[in-house]
Amino acid sequence: MRGFVSDFGPTAALSMESCVHCGRCADACQFYVQTGDPRYTPIHKIAPFRQAYAREVGPFAMFYRLLGLARKVTADELTKWQDLIYDSCNMCGRCSLICPMGIDIADLVEKARHGMYRAGLAPSDYLGLLAEKEQATGSPFGLSTTKFREMLNAIADQHGVAMHVDEATADIVPTVSSIDLKTYPGSMAAIAKILNHMGESWTFRTDGFDADNVSLTAGDRDGQRKTTLGIVQAAASCGAKTLLMPECGHAFTEMRWEAANAFGKPLPFRVMQITEFLAEGLADGRIRVKTVKQRATYHDACQISRRGGATAGPRIILEALGVDLHETEDTGDSNWCCGGGGGVALINRAAPLRKKAFEIKQRQIEATGMETVYTSCSGCRQTLDHGGKAAQWNKTVGSLLELVADSLRP
Amino acid sequence: MTLLDFARGPGLQGAWLIMVAGTAWRVSGILLLRQRSHLAAPRIGFAGRVRVGLATVFTRFVPRRTFWPRIAVSVGLSSTFHLGLAVIVLGGAPHILLIHQFFWLTWPNLPKGLVAIVSGVTLASMIALLFRRIYHPVLRLLSKADDYLSWLLVFLPVLTGILLSGETIASYSTWLTMHILSVELMMVWLPFGKLLHVKLAFFGRAAMGMNFARKGAAT
Amino acid sequence: MDPTATLGEVLGRRGFGRRSLLKFAIAMTSSLALPPALAPVMAANLAKAKRRSVIWLSFQECTGCLETLLRSSSPSIEALIFDFISLDYQESLMAAAGADAERTLREAVSANKGEYLLAIDGSIPVKDGGVYSMTGGRSNLGMLTEIAADAKAVLAIGTCAAYGGIPKAYPNPTGAAGVEDLISGKPIVNIPGCPPLPEVLSGVLVHFISFGRLPELDELRRPLAYFGTTIHDQCYRRPFYDQGKFAKSFDDDGARQGWCLFELGCKGPVTHNACASLKWNGGTSFPIQSGHGCIGCSEPDFWDAGSFYTSLAGGSSAGWRNTGIALGVGVAGGLAAALSGRRKST
Repeated sequence: MRGFVSDFGPTAALSMESCVHCGRCADACQFYVQTGDPRYTPIHKIAPFRQAYAREVGPFAMFYRLLGLARKVTADELTKWQDLIYDSCNMCGRCSLICPMGIDIADLVEKARHGMYRAGLAPSDYLGLLAEKEQATGSPFGLSTTKFREMLNAIADQHGVAMHVDEATADIVPTVSSIDLKTYPGSMAAIAKILNHMGESWTFRTDGFDADNVSLTAGDRDGQRKTTLGIVQAAASCGAKTLLMPECGHAFTEMRWEAANAFGKPLPFRVMQITEFLAEGLADGRIRVKTVKQRATYHDACQISRRGGATAGPRIILEALGVDLHETEDTGDSNWCCGGGGGVALINRAAPLRKKAFEIKQRQIEATGMETVYTSCSGCRQTLDHGGKAAQWNKTVGSLLELVADSLRP
Repeated sequence: MTLLDFARGPGLQGAWLIMVAGTAWRVSGILLLRQRSHLAAPRIGFAGRVRVGLATVFTRFVPRRTFWPRIAVSVGLSSTFHLGLAVIVLGGAPHILLIHQFFWLTWPNLPKGLVAIVSGVTLASMIALLFRRIYHPVLRLLSKADDYLSWLLVFLPVLTGILLSGETIASYSTWLTMHILSVELMMVWLPFGKLLHVKLAFFGRAAMGMNFARKGAAT
Repeated sequence: MDPTATLGEVLGRRGFGRRSLLKFAIAMTSSLALPPALAPVMAANLAKAKRRSVIWLSFQECTGCLETLLRSSSPSIEALIFDFISLDYQESLMAAAGADAERTLREAVSANKGEYLLAIDGSIPVKDGGVYSMTGGRSNLGMLTEIAADAKAVLAIGTCAAYGGIPKAYPNPTGAAGVEDLISGKPIVNIPGCPPLPEVLSGVLVHFISFGRLPELDELRRPLAYFGTTIHDQCYRRPFYDQGKFAKSFDDDGARQGWCLFELGCKGPVTHNACASLKWNGGTSFPIQSGHGCIGCSEPDFWDAGSFYTSLAGGSSAGWRNTGIALGVGVAGGLAAALSGRRKST
């Protein structure tokens, strides 16, 4: 419980105190909406932690303990909550948006995971393993710095792009996500292509390249800090002015909004999500593109749009490319989560549940009648790919970054 | 001392003081926790964050379109209840008189008949809300003793107020005593259960608005 | 007056025949909320009635109750009835004084043992052995206990005798109490009011003389016929209450138009009495008609029920000082909790 209540400020405390049990958060959550199982009610997922809060940190904590108004929560008890806190929550923030009391439930789940991890209750499969590996090698896929350098060189050859690796000084330091490393290596070629096109001084840094931060989603605060600070140091040491976050949701929120706190002072560089960077470049003419004669729809990553405040970028990019955009019914900040976010995609036993959650997205995309859906998060991209395969889609799932790279005018 | 004298005298004083002390304790216990530092470069300045924070207090009253079909019943019943209560408390002549005695503010009251109709609607909405809380699977899972107690502590004032206003079934004296005592019971419990959402909702929404505005996140 | 004459004979000599007595009985049964069929019975009983001895003891009082009961603007049958009852002892009215008066009391008690009505006005102080109100070296408390023992029934006249009244108001330095707090085992009627309506006493006496027992009483021992409804129920300004027309201050436009005085503190809705229908001074007026709200003077502890000018919608203020203290205690407690929470949060 100490792990949970650490870092508790007034906002988190307000969230703990304010729930009036109205039940609306359930209606925002893809897991409840698709299954009808009341256990997936967002605020219910963290019930034992509200008890712990009341006992330890609440205004009447002393009375709770003296009068036995809240039992001490045992680690045994918490085992029952594991699937609620990990398998059935993407931390997508829809619940936070619907709550009439202004409770950031998604943030509370993230905090709950700190407690769960401390108690050794992060799901043992894949997720836990990944977090350990990430700390050891800087990547959940166990890719060492040497391996990364080799990969980058291979990509440079394959795609015919000039790659910059471990330069001593550079203005821009791009990062990647572990899913890019494994599944979409083309994204690294795409970044290189665009940055070269812009004539920027840039470099990948093998001492800080994987921004995915699986430790965050696992609840491992120490691992989370380690990964984040590794990247910050890498960028700072080459005097970067801009740190580019890849197509990845949590990587962005972590670096843009939390890294400075871990660093202890404001970061010495701008942190930009790749779509923000591309939108800026397109707007001021540093990136020049051909028109793309396409009709498509777009899937927002929750951490980038709703939680991260970078909703406008992708629309600017698509417009600059001349894509005929047909938005889904709930889009932008009101988007439904693909179901794979927040580490859920990495939990094997959660696959059936994830599939059910994805059906909402599937319906909404199909309703647009578009053949192509773009996204700017590799996690979402992978979920859309897998989900589409299961649904036997004929739709194309594309990355916005790669689309821009493919459409550059010489 | 009759029960009515107690209700209008030491009962009122005691309930008021407990409510003030309890609310102050709980709110300051929350707000005086250490503020988390936010060292990331904000998207908008402090004044802008305050503006969004205050706006969020009001925008949260109307949910986004994406949520609508599923929560229409909840929002409808809850809004009816809250608005009804506001009309009764702020528009009913005796309540304005009470506020005037203690806070020197006054404003014109609504006609007694209109308040009576609204009271009936409010009472009905409360009964519907109770049924919903008992039968809806999500609410049944979430609800604890405090939820039902809080419902009762608000229901009794509305009910006794209607009976007092109608001067029916029992004497004016009896209903006046019951009405004032039931309100005092509510006041005494208010700081400690979910009823304090009357204060916390505003703080919570404003805090979320300010925090999210810093990130440009959706509010 | 011939002490053995019946009431019928006395009235007959003064020119009031059977028809007048019947008319009076009809009015009285209506006033007492009795069935109309009882009127001829009452008339017949009154005609046969013998003089009833009444001993009146005045204790810790202002004499207002006595004054009001005796005020009578024109001779009426009520006045004659007061003449007819044998008011054997009353310190303000009787001619005798000193040792003569004491002897009169002793003789009246022994002559009418078990049959006299004991009327009390004023509260009875009990503190310090009852020294705060004494007559001729005897405490009121002692006199009450002794004289009530042989009475047929006790009439507590006025709010002081009924419930303790003004002397009982906080801090009650004399330990004032009402008759019913001190006497048990005797029928007691409370006729509260500060002062009470004269018609109520005459109604109770007529009932007692006619039927040999006290009229139906409510749970506070008040005659239901007069105290069964509230001022609010009978008030002529009730339509304004219902329409929401209230005077906001004394002598404002609303007040001048005779609007309801609820907001100016009228306690009519919670006060049981017949003032709004019978009115005062032979039906001339009553406080509300004169523009002042009812102060609830026939209810127990009315003096301690808060300001006369605080409406029933309002109440006692805790005061700014106490509110400040409560606020301080709350913030202090919250701060302590937050500091402890801060320690755990790092």
